[in-house]
Amino acid sequence: MKPAAMPDSPAMTHPRPGKTRIVMGVIGDDIHVVGNRIIQLALEESGCQVFNLRTRNRPEHFCQAALEVNAQAIFVSSLNGEGEHWCAGFRQRLQEIGMGDVLLYVGGNVVVGKRPESEVIALFKGYGFDRVYHQRPDIGPAIEDLFKDLAHGQTQ
Amino acid sequence: MARPSDKARLRHTDRQREQVLAHPLARGLCPDEVGRFLAEVPQRRFPSVAYAQRGRLPLIQPRGGVPLFDAQLALTKALSDAGADFIPLTIDSCTRHNQYDTAMQLLRRSEEEGHSYLNGYPLVCHGHELTRQLYAGLDKPVSLRHGTPDARLLVELAIGSGIAEIEGGGLCYCLPYSEGFPLDRALLYWQYVDRICALYSTPERPIHRESFGPLSATLVPPAMAIVIEIIEALLAAEQGVLSFAVSFGQTGSFTQDVATACVLRRLVREALDAHGFQAMQVHLVYHQWMGQFPMQRERAAALIAGSALIAGVIGADKIVVKTVDEALGVPSAEVNAEAVDTVRYVLRTFAAPAMIDSSSIAAEAALLASEAGSILEAIYGLSGDMFWESVYRAFQLGWLDLPFSPHADNANRLLTMRDANHSIRIVDPGAVPISPADAASERRLLSGRVDEASTTYRQILADIMLMV
Repeated sequence: MKPAAMPDSPAMTHPRPGKTRIVMGVIGDDIHVVGNRIIQLALEESGCQVFNLRTRNRPEHFCQAALEVNAQAIFVSSLNGEGEHWCAGFRQRLQEIGMGDVLLYVGGNVVVGKRPESEVIALFKGYGFDRVYHQRPDIGPAIEDLFKDLAHGQTQ
Repeated sequence: MARPSDKARLRHTDRQREQVLAHPLARGLCPDEVGRFLAEVPQRRFPSVAYAQRGRLPLIQPRGGVPLFDAQLALTKALSDAGADFIPLTIDSCTRHNQYDTAMQLLRRSEEEGHSYLNGYPLVCHGHELTRQLYAGLDKPVSLRHGTPDARLLVELAIGSGIAEIEGGGLCYCLPYSEGFPLDRALLYWQYVDRICALYSTPERPIHRESFGPLSATLVPPAMAIVIEIIEALLAAEQGVLSFAVSFGQTGSFTQDVATACVLRRLVREALDAHGFQAMQVHLVYHQWMGQFPMQRERAAALIAGSALIAGVIGADKIVVKTVDEALGVPSAEVNAEAVDTVRYVLRTFAAPAMIDSSSIAAEAALLASEAGSILEAIYGLSGDMFWESVYRAFQLGWLDLPFSPHADNANRLLTMRDANHSIRIVDPGAVPISPADAASERRLLSGRVDEASTTYRQILADIMLMV
């Protein structure tokens, strides 16, 4: 039950070879921080090196950080539903900076209001996300999926 | 080394004040006129009077703020009729972030469409002259509830409206509420707020300040909340505030709630007296569970009743209440009024003994007092010309570290979890200067927890969702 270390920003931590490097953060003007901290802890407990951008990020912040640390995956969170607006064209932005093969995950309450999950998944797959977790209680399955996807080198 | 001292009192507020009141939304507010107005409002509008006249039960304060004036007036009347002892005025989040233009647009839209586009009352948009009319004939205190790092204009207008209780502080209204507002600036702006509260105060009619002890309301170790409350009481005392309340949020552990109340009450008095602030009166406020609430109204009602009982046991001067619709959004006036009635029913029916005692409570109190004392002494010893500078330095060093703060400069190295009795324990103090012996005690107390095989993040998640 040893707590994981918590690096705070990419600037303070250098990428370590041999570890899965993940850029994560909350998108939009969303300031919901509790889930953000929990996801960081969970990823670090799984042995990943985490670069947590924390709250209030634009897509370019994720892309820039992914480039800086040569990330293998990006975890985008949205609690207030702003994700729908900000995530459009996310994959294309990554391709433009030569990071098109990064795994791209999104989760939280990613759209405003009640909508069928299948519709939400299709929407974000259209934006270029590999995995979509809408209103799921636990980050565990997403981390399992991450290691599967990394093993298969699967991105869109 | 800079201990708290009245030498830190702001001497020349006039020019800064001119600048604050030059804002068009200050609408020509004149401090002399406000002073005359405050001398004429009923004396029971001042919290110190309400506290002095308090009977056996804690005073009851609901929460509430809606965008439209008429709706706020109706809410005020409903809460007062339901027996609330303090009337709340909760401010919308645009105003909290000084985005008055946006607040104004959303207020107009709310007026036109009859639907709330703001999550509180935009006091700066409505102005002090209109807001005074909310409270015509009211003979109980009104409490300003917000979460504003720079509350200078808001507080000028609130006091101008006859609101004599101002919640907040440089730490408690920045670290849980802001992602990027510089903490040193928040501390300075709250010095201004404290100073103008003092300038408007007379011994019989002091403007009352209250700190917000629940903070992030997520696994905050009581020692950290106690330290932050004491710091804010000292900072207010430096500026000449005469009437103050420290507060804390229900921890989720009966033992820890009782111990926290004992230690906070004792240490804040000692700290004030030790620095020459014997004149400041201090009260203790208890917040019902501030974390995630159950969706089921029956469970929410049970939680509200249980924590009302704890407020009675700890002899809180005031309890700030939740409603059965907490998990669902901003409650209606009726539901809010029901909550006031429920809490009064519990307080009246279960006449609680004055402060219960047991060996486990005494042990917890000794640990909390030792931890809080170590942190405070370390901060007093930091370099700086003023106490607020030491406080800021302590934050930069990670000595003040608030779990689950959204603030970009928060250290986030302090890690906490619940023990088998639901008490919040320090797993890793990070840079927080508690003694090795206290850190070892914290870890020992945690060892009774049964789900050790589970991952840390799942345990913390379960701890956060305790009441759901």
